Amino acid sequence: MILQVDDRILLQAAQDGDPDAFEALVRRHQAAVYRVALRMLGSEADAQDATQESFVRAWRGLERFRRESAVSTWLYRIVTRRCLDAIAARRPTEALHQIELDAGVDCADTAEQSERLRAVTRAIAGLPGEQRAALVLREFEGLSYDQLADVLNTSVPAVKGRIHRARLAVLKQTTAWR
Amino acid sequence: MTAEHEQLPCGVELEPLVIQVADDQPPVDLAHQNSCPYCQSALRSLRQGWADVQALTREPVPIPPRLTAQIMARVRTLARDVADSILLGHPRGETRISHTVVGQVIQRVASSVPGVVFASAKPIPHDPPEPGRLSVTIRLVVAFGPAIDTLTHAVRHVIDRRIPRLTGAELSRIDITIEDITELPD
Repeated sequence: MILQVDDRILLQAAQDGDPDAFEALVRRHQAAVYRVALRMLGSEADAQDATQESFVRAWRGLERFRRESAVSTWLYRIVTRRCLDAIAARRPTEALHQIELDAGVDCADTAEQSERLRAVTRAIAGLPGEQRAALVLREFEGLSYDQLADVLNTSVPAVKGRIHRARLAVLKQTTAWR
Repeated sequence: MTAEHEQLPCGVELEPLVIQVADDQPPVDLAHQNSCPYCQSALRSLRQGWADVQALTREPVPIPPRLTAQIMARVRTLARDVADSILLGHPRGETRISHTVVGQVIQRVASSVPGVVFASAKPIPHDPPEPGRLSVTIRLVVAFGPAIDTLTHAVRHVIDRRIPRLTGAELSRIDITIEDITELPD
């Protein structure tokens, strides 16, 4: 029955210190948070850590959340920031070694398709962090440009520029477009 | 020249072609595109590449099985660490019950009333604190159907009856807010 309870009510209860209400929010939003972390970090273990840490940060930051944006937007902002911090902390030499090319590539029909999806995974993993975040949130999570600007704390034109550069880099790496 | 301003040999920039493919936009210059082998070749490659990106976006991402439990173990530890507690007097020592625990007991009891869809309880200590006594504010989401006044009366009644027995705490005040009303699925 808790499925029918609005996010804002669960959030208010969580802000009053109710961990059960927060757990309902976790169950509702963890798939999206984990997906973003997996696509940004390319490693299931790292994504799991980032998801846990994001929700712990969310719990700690409940008092500061003023409900000016949706809970989902707030959580996207937290996990994106957490992943950008993790990417920045990686040494350049280890960045690509940490990518599990099969992470989230489970259902491809053929070996050839699997290889193409791995190439896309590899190309996304090679993007600078902010481009990666913009691409993942836009293409994998379907956020609008306005939502992206809110999550990434930047302007819509800046978001469009990052997405274009990210798309171009991925396409150039995965296709022979010339 | 920056990467986003790269051009095909025909002079067309790559950017509008990428937007055309990725955002499913109409071509900027349809007549040129229809007659230009460079544009057509680039579009074929971009469409194939973009189809792969879209295929990856459709791949299901299974959630690690213990993820919720791992998150909530950490959150519940944090919640316990900061929660106030109620003091229950006893001749052979004192008992403290975290407000988080009292709140969870109250919300479980409140949730047992038919018509309550969601309950959350926040214990409020008295000022100055009184051993064994609390007030509580309860937020409810209720089903459409039962009379709300009857339902809140039932919630107060069951809390008054069961909470002292379950926790040892007396509730001097029970404030209830109906936050939402919802249709139950058939």
